[in-house]
Amino acid sequence: MVQQQTTSEQLNATFSALADPTRRAILARLASGETSVSELAEPFEMSMPAISKHLKVLQRAGLIERGREAQWRPCRLAAGPLKDASDWLEHYRRFWEEAFDRLEDYLRELQKRDTKKKEHKNGRKK
Amino acid sequence: MAAKSSAAAESTERAVVITRVFNAPRDLVWKAFTEPEHLEHWWGPKGFTTHVHKLELRPGGVFFYSQKMPDGRQMYGKWVYREIVAPERLVIVSSFADANENLARNPFIPSWPLEMLGTSTFTENQRRTTLTVRTVPLNATESERKTFFDGESSMRQGFGGTFDRLDEYLATL
Repeated sequence: MVQQQTTSEQLNATFSALADPTRRAILARLASGETSVSELAEPFEMSMPAISKHLKVLQRAGLIERGREAQWRPCRLAAGPLKDASDWLEHYRRFWEEAFDRLEDYLRELQKRDTKKKEHKNGRKK
Repeated sequence: MAAKSSAAAESTERAVVITRVFNAPRDLVWKAFTEPEHLEHWWGPKGFTTHVHKLELRPGGVFFYSQKMPDGRQMYGKWVYREIVAPERLVIVSSFADANENLARNPFIPSWPLEMLGTSTFTENQRRTTLTVRTVPLNATESERKTFFDGESSMRQGFGGTFDRLDEYLATL
């Protein structure tokens, strides 16, 4: 139960971190490799403190990690939670897709039964 | 037939859409989708066992069911029928429920919208039926809408364009 609660809290943090376009752009940039905060800030017309704020949200959501090197604390992607979130959305789709797989099989079965009944009734093949 | 303005607004809203073509006539697909003895045979993913407690196929009527998951856990779900046009269109309000049919939060993600509006359309072409289920959050708060859509938009649409690299990266995990 505790595990489940933690997972959903984690997902909430992931989703709200992803809600912001700047943060998504930061993640996209980090996908090509780790980089410094000033390099990250470059393409955005934003102050360093504003970028730092975004990084903190991403870090709290577990989406990025900061290196320990004192001067140059590079940012890198920590994709675990991101994968959980995308897995979860996939799960929602999969719920329906799998139900439709079963419906497909079931409809085939029903039609087979129906054909047999008709054959029996008419005493000949359809 | 003139579409109601609410229906028109609804169709421009973002939605999760799932479509499948079934090799069966529309009447049969409709029956499988609306009759309890049929629903128990397929409603839910692989390994789920569905039990129909109640199915009242009329506007305002309730489809109340329980599902046993492969790990043995039980969950309850509920649809309220909003519009029934046999055999072509079915509009439902779906939600999780407790054992007494009361609305319940999604047990796995509490910020999931409490209720969703699902529109299923059935069209037939040469004895094959296309079933499309389109889902939008209903009366959702802004944060619930975010939960529902942001993952989808960042994971799918977003990555499709400027987020290609992130998409590729996720694929390698």
